[in-house]
Amino acid sequence: MRRVAMSPRDNWQQMVEAAGLIFHSPEGEGMDRPYWDESAAYEFSAAEIDTLESAGNTLQEMCLAAAQHVIDNKRYAELGIPPEAVEAIEWAWEAEPPAIYGRFDVAYDGSGPPKLLEYNADTPTSLLEAAVIQWSWLEEQFPNADQFNSIHEKLIAKWKDVDSYLSKPVYFAGLDNAEDHLTLTYLRDTAEQAGLKTVQMLMEEIGWNEARQAFVDPGERPMFSVFKLYPWEMMVGEEFGPAMLKTYQSMRWIEPIWKILLSNKGILPILWELYPGHELLLEAHFAGDAHSMWDFVRKPLFSREGANIDVVRTGVTVETTGGPYTGPQVVQGLAPVSAFDDNLRPGAKRVPVLGLWMVDQECCGMGIRESSGLITDNLSSFVPHYFVS
Amino acid sequence: MKRSAHVAAPLLAAAALSMTSGCRKPEMQRCVDENNIVVDDSLCAKQPQSNQQYPNMGGGGGYVPYHPLYHYYYGGWGGYGWGTQAGGGSTVPAEGHSYANSAGHTTTVRGGFGSSMSGEGGGHGSGAGE
Repeated sequence: MRRVAMSPRDNWQQMVEAAGLIFHSPEGEGMDRPYWDESAAYEFSAAEIDTLESAGNTLQEMCLAAAQHVIDNKRYAELGIPPEAVEAIEWAWEAEPPAIYGRFDVAYDGSGPPKLLEYNADTPTSLLEAAVIQWSWLEEQFPNADQFNSIHEKLIAKWKDVDSYLSKPVYFAGLDNAEDHLTLTYLRDTAEQAGLKTVQMLMEEIGWNEARQAFVDPGERPMFSVFKLYPWEMMVGEEFGPAMLKTYQSMRWIEPIWKILLSNKGILPILWELYPGHELLLEAHFAGDAHSMWDFVRKPLFSREGANIDVVRTGVTVETTGGPYTGPQVVQGLAPVSAFDDNLRPGAKRVPVLGLWMVDQECCGMGIRESSGLITDNLSSFVPHYFVS
Repeated sequence: MKRSAHVAAPLLAAAALSMTSGCRKPEMQRCVDENNIVVDDSLCAKQPQSNQQYPNMGGGGGYVPYHPLYHYYYGGWGGYGWGTQAGGGSTVPAEGHSYANSAGHTTTVRGGFGSSMSGEGGGHGSGAGE
């Protein structure tokens, strides 16, 4: 694995916009480079890609076992899951309604096993960058090389697989911002190519009709199948949470609510309990539990985009990010440093986090975001990759 | 073989084109009170608009501006649900934008999902994904 300096394509901005990525260069956000950064790329060997693919598949099996453990042992309170959500979670776990995708974030530099940082199992984004934009980049820049990326066709295949379990149209609901809107649009694209009728709307437009005991779209039509790009922990706690839980079994929410067990940072200490010392894991504990780590990160159970994270070295907090997330936390050992020379700032380093995409329980692609420090947040850049035999 | 044989996302490309060319979906038009709390649209529909003037009944003749208790609120975050907070929008419609009221919401409540993260900003990833 190496980081290669590249010359961006002429008119790359227009090219990525035409393919669907309009938020390639956020303005005034404190970034020192575009979000879509093709001034560099990561090169892998085929053996390294095999290692990453195998790691994703192994982690998926371990996470499913960890979810089963949480359910069997009723450890919901440790994960900050409210009691009223348990019935729906357990029903969804047993009934196995459609689940589509997720993304493992791992630390890796080619010299040791990948280390799991967290599992974005509920609302992962950077999907269209990984599936579409870096693919078109590869076709132009490295037409003879390969890329760990069959995300697009795997998504289409998965939608075909779950078609018979979903009423139509399948609603795709999210927030009113470019990234979420286009991520949903891309997912709709794959569903439509699989033959499913879809409709896109805002989460705020979802209506609850008390008399009909049904969620309804803006045209007052009942909604049955809904892909929501919105976290379960927030849905449970919002105004419509009780109605959602009451009607959960009569609807098909995607991702299913049991994903709240895996998108939760509390799954990290659970995994460490079940698989102590596993080569793909970093030591992790619930904050407050005894441990002997001196170098670790502290993060809330429900935190997002690198918010509210403390980096502790030799027992001293050396870096803290702000944010709105509070509540119980976990501590996780620091991953071995994976840093590469920054071609744009001599002497500086870039720290990549590899996102391993899971579709239908199978690891099928990768997207890489990198930062100047240890914390990957919403100011990190997306850097394309390729691999050679 | 790790690669896709063919990647085509026409819906995505069309959406990106419409967003870069300024074609957007209608934003919310809501009736709110003086604290920007959403109320029934009929409360705004029943009263005169704020730019009208009325005779000064306190004596002295002339006309005084009428300040209605309720007014329409255009765009911004929040939902159509009665009693919920609206913000981030304007009391006047923006040029080139289109607005939609919550037709049919008398038996349907909206805005009950999405409130936790509406109105957040910063970075390319300010939404609900991660």
